[in-house]
Amino acid sequence: MDRGAKVFGALGQRLYSNRMRRAAKKEEPATYERLVYKNTSVYHYMSISLEFENEETLSPAQLKQFIVNGLKDIYGEVGGAFPFDLLKFDELKLTAILRVYNSGLVKLWSALTLLSSFDQERCAVRVNQERCAVRVNQVSPFLLALSGNSRELELH
Amino acid sequence: MAVFMDLNISYTTNKKRLQSVIETAAQLGYSTVAINYVVDLQQKKQEIVKPKSVSELFKTFPIVQGKSRPIKVLNRLTVVASEPSHFRPTVDYKAYDLVAVFPQTEKLFHAACMTFDVDIICVAVTERLPFFFKRSPVNGAIERSVFFEISYTHAIRDHTMRRYTIANAINLMEICKGKNVIVSSGAEHPLEMRGPYDISNLGLLFGLSEEDGKAAVSTNCRAVCLHGETRKTALGIIHTIKKDPALTDRVEEDAPASKRAKIEMA
Repeated sequence: MDRGAKVFGALGQRLYSNRMRRAAKKEEPATYERLVYKNTSVYHYMSISLEFENEETLSPAQLKQFIVNGLKDIYGEVGGAFPFDLLKFDELKLTAILRVYNSGLVKLWSALTLLSSFDQERCAVRVNQERCAVRVNQVSPFLLALSGNSRELELH
Repeated sequence: MAVFMDLNISYTTNKKRLQSVIETAAQLGYSTVAINYVVDLQQKKQEIVKPKSVSELFKTFPIVQGKSRPIKVLNRLTVVASEPSHFRPTVDYKAYDLVAVFPQTEKLFHAACMTFDVDIICVAVTERLPFFFKRSPVNGAIERSVFFEISYTHAIRDHTMRRYTIANAINLMEICKGKNVIVSSGAEHPLEMRGPYDISNLGLLFGLSEEDGKAAVSTNCRAVCLHGETRKTALGIIHTIKKDPALTDRVEEDAPASKRAKIEMA
């Protein structure tokens, strides 16, 4: 009985989908494709922007060092030593895209949240601490998703 | 989807800075913020001041990002209580939208959870906990829908404070299981604000689950605001306001004697 139901179910489904296909042919289907990823992504991508109290310039290497220092501050040598990549850095707008393994996402994100001062060695003697903030604009497992931000759309 | 709120923005007399903090909050996507007036009755010559009207702060309130609605600004009073006499619900409290208490001793913490008519109980984040949280008062607070607040600005500013904040938060979560917790900023500077999603991620460090972390900046804050409204009104149904005597006096003085309204107490 159970098996019978299954067969009937499968048959019913096929009939249903055939009918759907016919119906779709008639009224010009909307053109979109649905993709389902069976395996979850290995990486997460983050788009971040930096804010400083005063105008600052920094190179990609400095930015990476800045984040690594922040990680080490909070999670220590072992906890903070996980791989992440700086994919892109816009030095004018101070925005960047980071890539990190899923397992490190929470750590990296919280480290970015708790970053608050930027050490700048202006003179050789004095280390100047400057207030800063890292704004996380978007986090997504798909890099493509960072190309547009739905929250920046103007709603009326 | 519930909107995000940050129910603790430190009041400063520097109007420009306060404005820029609120503007940043709107930019980050907070729909409601509360300006926090702290009164510490331990120190002498401290009295509860009337809050500034929020309409004085902005002509037009900044628009919340992604919502195209102006930000809502509330006033909040935090009473730092180290003696039972410090918390006296008087008329002064009614001028504020939210009332919070920061108990310094275990006895007061118990009283705040079980009897005080407050919306928020602050948890110490700048020092080691002066007492242990016990299950019965915390459960009592949860039943009365009073919320516990953890502010994160100190954690951002300083290493030691960060340790205390996280340790105290985890202590609290052990007892309350992530229920009835709000996380707020306590920011004095725009660069100390963080976005709502950052905070719900930070909640994971505090021992909140992902779901509770998000609730701590959205639905729980909404519950606090509604609780504040019911405290102001009679169970949220009837609202009474006191007629301002100063206003009526002035009107009477302006009018000639013959046209003054005759109000006589029977």
